[in-house]
Amino acid sequence: MEAPALAAHGLGYAYGDFVALHHLDLEVPPGRIGLVGANGAGKTTLIKLLLGILSPTVGSVQVLGIDPAKDLIKVRNRVGYMPEGDCLPLEQSAADFVSYAAELAGVPPRESRQRASDILTMVGLHEERFRYLGDFSTGMKQRAMLAQAIVHDPEIVFLDEPTAGLDPAGREEMLDLISRLGGFGINVLVSSHVLPDIERTCDWVVMLDGGQVLRNGPISGLTETGVVEIELLEDPTAVADELRRLGGSVELHGNSIYLASDDHDPFVLARDVLATSGVTLRRMGPRSTTLEDIFLGEAPSNE
Amino acid sequence: MSDQTGAVFDLGYKPYEGTRLGRSGAIRAIIKDGMRRVMGIRRKARRKVYPWTLVAFAVLPAVVFVGLAFFLSTFSPDAESPFGGHAEYMGLTGAIVMLFFALAAPELLISDREEGVLSVYSSRPMTAWDYIAARAGALFAVVASFVLFPNILMYLGFAALDADGLGSALVGNLGDMGKVILTMTAYIVGYGAPALLISTYAKRTGPAAGIYLAIMFGSAGFAEAFQDVNFTGARYGTLLSFLQHPEVIRSWVFGQTQTAAPINAGFKPWASLLVIVLVAVLTVILMHRRYRDEL
Repeated sequence: MEAPALAAHGLGYAYGDFVALHHLDLEVPPGRIGLVGANGAGKTTLIKLLLGILSPTVGSVQVLGIDPAKDLIKVRNRVGYMPEGDCLPLEQSAADFVSYAAELAGVPPRESRQRASDILTMVGLHEERFRYLGDFSTGMKQRAMLAQAIVHDPEIVFLDEPTAGLDPAGREEMLDLISRLGGFGINVLVSSHVLPDIERTCDWVVMLDGGQVLRNGPISGLTETGVVEIELLEDPTAVADELRRLGGSVELHGNSIYLASDDHDPFVLARDVLATSGVTLRRMGPRSTTLEDIFLGEAPSNE
Repeated sequence: MSDQTGAVFDLGYKPYEGTRLGRSGAIRAIIKDGMRRVMGIRRKARRKVYPWTLVAFAVLPAVVFVGLAFFLSTFSPDAESPFGGHAEYMGLTGAIVMLFFALAAPELLISDREEGVLSVYSSRPMTAWDYIAARAGALFAVVASFVLFPNILMYLGFAALDADGLGSALVGNLGDMGKVILTMTAYIVGYGAPALLISTYAKRTGPAAGIYLAIMFGSAGFAEAFQDVNFTGARYGTLLSFLQHPEVIRSWVFGQTQTAAPINAGFKPWASLLVIVLVAVLTVILMHRRYRDEL
């Protein structure tokens, strides 16, 4: 079995009296991982623990099977990090800084310059690579920050709020870039409170709320509800009654029926009832929920 | 019109499979970047003015002295150098070293914090100790270069003019170079440690430079005042003269007359050495404390 990309066992961290993370137990497989939660949920603290910047108050954490508290350099040889805030020296050119970022990861100087050029081209900054970073727009700075995070070809990259401050077009471009990282063989941990961004770019999600894990699993599994939504053109009451009589669990929402069943496949049940009812069907399909619905429904801090 | 056709290929992302130099590569990169940064290399033109002006002030007098000595020797081959030797020259460069630290230390440390670049270091194979050592090493290497270069020039130049011949003069004066290195170390540690300490906690480069110069000059004035007052233990106040301790070491090493406040207050030169070492140790401890939660 493949080793988890990230793992935490009884992980806790406190800033003085304030407990930021409470006894986290996690195992996350390699891939594109979303770390979601409201501001103050503990996302950045968890990333700092994964990078070995902070040491756990209790418990342990592992990145690619290595505990940063025990072997910091080994972990840092394999990671990249795009922080939430600025991390760019304004009086340095993009090419110089990204090349320096590669050298800091141990890539020899000559190869660093080549890597910097290639990566800046990949993130769409080829033409601007000799401009000073202080002259860059917000979107260009975000791309330069992503470039420094991946220039040394890390095995896993932590992206902390990568779309913060971007306009809609810039956000789209950044999400496209993040989506492509998985194809390059780089595992990605995207921390964000913008849940649609996570749904779009990730295949696994860890939800944090108040320093605790709310959900941890594949996104497809989390958003599937097992409910069939049937929308009719006329009054659905008779169909709903028949579905109930045959053992279905039914909710009515206007002309729509939400059907679930423990004993039958709800699609088969719906098909059989609709075939004999004579009503006009407008639409029928699985009802999926969004991460936002799940988060808002389950987070105690939202109550 | 050409009938050749071409195709554009998107090479996409290429994994890196070459050598990785690890922690030592990271430390070398920080030192190289630090040396470039304090000299304004690959930075905007205005960043080059201050450091290169100071370097010119440190180096050019030696070039002029040696040149003039060569010129004068054509009239009087046995004449002594009218410009003094290494001890006097170190006195001149000591002041330049302090002025250099005033701006270079904040530039190295504060910019990294202010611009958030520490986040990048925190995801690279290094520790807080590595960062501190590499940044201080870069600063000290640059200062050592511009202190040593003119002294080496004088050492070689005056040896070439020596009546006993170049070879015997080089051997005979080798002790002077040892003294230069000892004095240079005192200047670098004595002036550099307070600059790094202030830059570790200050938030802006300009104020940090101002605070550093105020403390250095203020402490000398403070020490002079304590030298003249007459109450029990007042003489210990003269040990706060951070400006004068490296000067005490210079005069001690070159066997010159001591005029600094700590000496006038009755302290031996090793007391100045002890203060320099204590400030350096305190600086290292406080720097690590400041950076350990960020790197």
